[in-house]
Amino acid sequence: MDKFKNKFREEAADHINDLEDALLLIEKDKGNKELVERIFRSMHSLKGGGAMFGFTMLSEFTHNLENLYDRVRSGKMKVTRDLLDMTLASVDHMKLLLADEGLDEPDFKSRHLNLSLQIKKYVENDGEDTELREKNDDADLAKDNSKTFYIYFEPNQDIFNDGTNPLFLVDELHSLGECKVFAHFNKVPELKNIDVTKCYTYWEMLVVTQENVNAISDVFIFVEDQCELEIMEVSDKNILTNEQIVSEIEKLAEERKDVGINEIQQIIKKYSIKEKKEEKLEHIISKKEKLPSVKENVISSIRVSSNKLDQLMNLVSELVTTQARLSLYAEESGQPELVTIAENVQKLSRQLRDNAFDIVLVPIETMLTRFQRLVRDLSKELNKVVVFTAEGADTELDKTIIETLTDPLLHILRNCIDHGIENPETRKKLNKPEEGKILLKAFYSGANVHIQIHDDGAGMDVEKIKAKAIEKELISPDANLTKKEILDLVFLPGFSTATNVTDVSGRGVGMDVVKRKLTEIRGEVELDSELNVGTTLTIKLPLTLSIIDGLLVKIAHNHYILPLSSVNKIYATEHEKVVNTYNNLIVLDGDQIPFYYLREEFGLPEGEQDIEQVIIVSYEDRSIGLVVDEVIGEYQAVLKSLGKMYKKQEIISGATILGDGTVALVVDTNKIISQFSEVKIKKEN
Amino acid sequence: MDKEITPELNSYLSFNLGQEQFAANVGKVLNILEMTKITEVPKAPDYMKGVINLRGTVLPVVDTRIKFGMTATEYTTNTCIIVMEVEMEGEQVQVGALVDSVQAVVEIENEDIQPPPSIGSKFKSEFIEGMAKVDDKFIMILNMEKVFSTDEIVTIKEKTDEGETKIEKSEKSTKKKAK
Repeated sequence: MDKFKNKFREEAADHINDLEDALLLIEKDKGNKELVERIFRSMHSLKGGGAMFGFTMLSEFTHNLENLYDRVRSGKMKVTRDLLDMTLASVDHMKLLLADEGLDEPDFKSRHLNLSLQIKKYVENDGEDTELREKNDDADLAKDNSKTFYIYFEPNQDIFNDGTNPLFLVDELHSLGECKVFAHFNKVPELKNIDVTKCYTYWEMLVVTQENVNAISDVFIFVEDQCELEIMEVSDKNILTNEQIVSEIEKLAEERKDVGINEIQQIIKKYSIKEKKEEKLEHIISKKEKLPSVKENVISSIRVSSNKLDQLMNLVSELVTTQARLSLYAEESGQPELVTIAENVQKLSRQLRDNAFDIVLVPIETMLTRFQRLVRDLSKELNKVVVFTAEGADTELDKTIIETLTDPLLHILRNCIDHGIENPETRKKLNKPEEGKILLKAFYSGANVHIQIHDDGAGMDVEKIKAKAIEKELISPDANLTKKEILDLVFLPGFSTATNVTDVSGRGVGMDVVKRKLTEIRGEVELDSELNVGTTLTIKLPLTLSIIDGLLVKIAHNHYILPLSSVNKIYATEHEKVVNTYNNLIVLDGDQIPFYYLREEFGLPEGEQDIEQVIIVSYEDRSIGLVVDEVIGEYQAVLKSLGKMYKKQEIISGATILGDGTVALVVDTNKIISQFSEVKIKKEN
Repeated sequence: MDKEITPELNSYLSFNLGQEQFAANVGKVLNILEMTKITEVPKAPDYMKGVINLRGTVLPVVDTRIKFGMTATEYTTNTCIIVMEVEMEGEQVQVGALVDSVQAVVEIENEDIQPPPSIGSKFKSEFIEGMAKVDDKFIMILNMEKVFSTDEIVTIKEKTDEGETKIEKSEKSTKKKAK
């Protein structure tokens, strides 16, 4: 059972995420029916699953929420900011409920009761609102568009001969909606005359349904020729809710043998005249309004343990390698049939590979919901106006990296809002727009993924940081530090510049933890800040398993991959120009560009060809040329780590396996560039 | 592979480096590969021969001969890569060891293993766990953990020093050319 419970917890977490996501979206698009459906569905799944696996608290709690959203769905209630606030708080609560089902903590329990009460109140209050609105003829979307049909059904007497049971047909009508059935037995002869194989009964029915006439006549489709059938719409409303009408018709049915369509129509007319005026408006609306289409919630994703995925990936890589060998062999053998087979295998394995990669990598987008939520809640709490935008959300990263990354990023965002963005008043004074902006930007750079978090807030005061560091004896007073070095001080343990310790941030445990966490996944952090302009924090992450688009080049007999994103241009140039130079500068398109002759860098003998390829790579605003023997072409490379034994080789960030099974090394162009600049600085000194 | 049992295995894989015979506990050996193309990693120490593709993963290969102070391996038809799993800084790491030829799996009882000679050995004796006599020949039993451990500073330091001097030399040479 525990196993199932855990499974449910995982699933529920997904549902809750989805729910949260939908709630945040609906905040921007309050009239969106699909989102309401999505919210409702998530709640419904949570409720159902919860009840099934013994999470009664969660189930009950969600049930109340669901009721609330049922009203929203049917249009009896509107989506308001208040409602969303409450729902989001409830969503948080649901997360906790998953973990602590028993409400063991008293605080937690009181919160539970509080929220439940709030929800209930909401349901009640809004009922009143709705009535008010109805009086105002406000677009009442709830108006159910049921119609009432009158059906007269008199089967032929020998209908039983075909094995048809008219009662089944009557039953089927029930499935369309509410029914009022009047069975008439006046044609039944006296007992001694009864032929048991004949049908003497006939029916009159009132059906209230949202379906149209066709749906009803479909019920009778097989008996059409064997009966007298009359189907008519008598009202575009549900007349069965009107007790007076119903009782009148019932009376009539008892008195007379059959009521007849005319009588019913008259009765309806009589009672509905008073309502007519209001009805007209509603009628128009109800025509426009379609039934909320409740789509079946099909299984759109399944959970697989990441071990299995790793295995799959390994197998796929092996397959690709083996396939490359097969292709090579097939070509050499010269057998056309074998070549065709090999080509097919190649096509399939490529598709398989792409699919497998897709499965393992997760776009950064998956974290964004949590960030949106945090920014929303926190900015509200601190009375700040913050707009959070994300760029490059489709940048894909290994799932494990994404998971480790979430917490540090949350912390950074918290800092941005708490310390970075100023109050609207302060911002106004500084001639800044009242709305603070936080931008999360993710992009590939070289063999890394960069995630930048930029805010246009107060920025960091270098002098203040320095003073603080001196006060805390982190540096000596006479230390001569560059701006960057000073900014880096905030990553030291026990450093916090905020004078006020809020419960949001500023407990002194902060950036050092962020840094440590990121270092664990081999990430690097860089901080840049301008006082009163803003702060940019850049996180560089390695691509342990990411795919990069690379440029495949050859140096001597080895293949190398340069990340395509950092490649600007490729030039061909004469051999002498790159070998016999004084200051490693080459003139290309009128610009002087420093370059590395990679053969020399890698400790290889000088090449013999006349033409060399110069690949211009850039990082930040610096460009550098890398001279290689040959450019082969674009290559989609799956990065593999070189492992512990090669961690000292910084300019090589990883390796990839080529189609023919050999290994190509991935060059970290950024490292080369920064190394080059370091060397240059040394030389200048 | 059950790690509980491996230390008690008395089977050893013997291989040749030059004329000398060495052996490693089979518990550490995962695989024996034929020589394939090794991709060199630039700017790495000499004994780090490069990387190969081992069924989709990248496997570092160490030239055991250089590591033991011999000349670099010359590739023949007998040259093999022994894939081993060793513990390195608390992690299980797979490494390929380049050897001249692989001989056989031999059974050596613990009591037949003698301590390594403390003097007069031409090999770095810290790698050698013991000596055993099999078929009138002495086999040196290696401690693979030590052979591959990065804590083995001496060799690494030597090599990197060498590397640096090389770079300096090459810098000088380019400067000379420039002049």
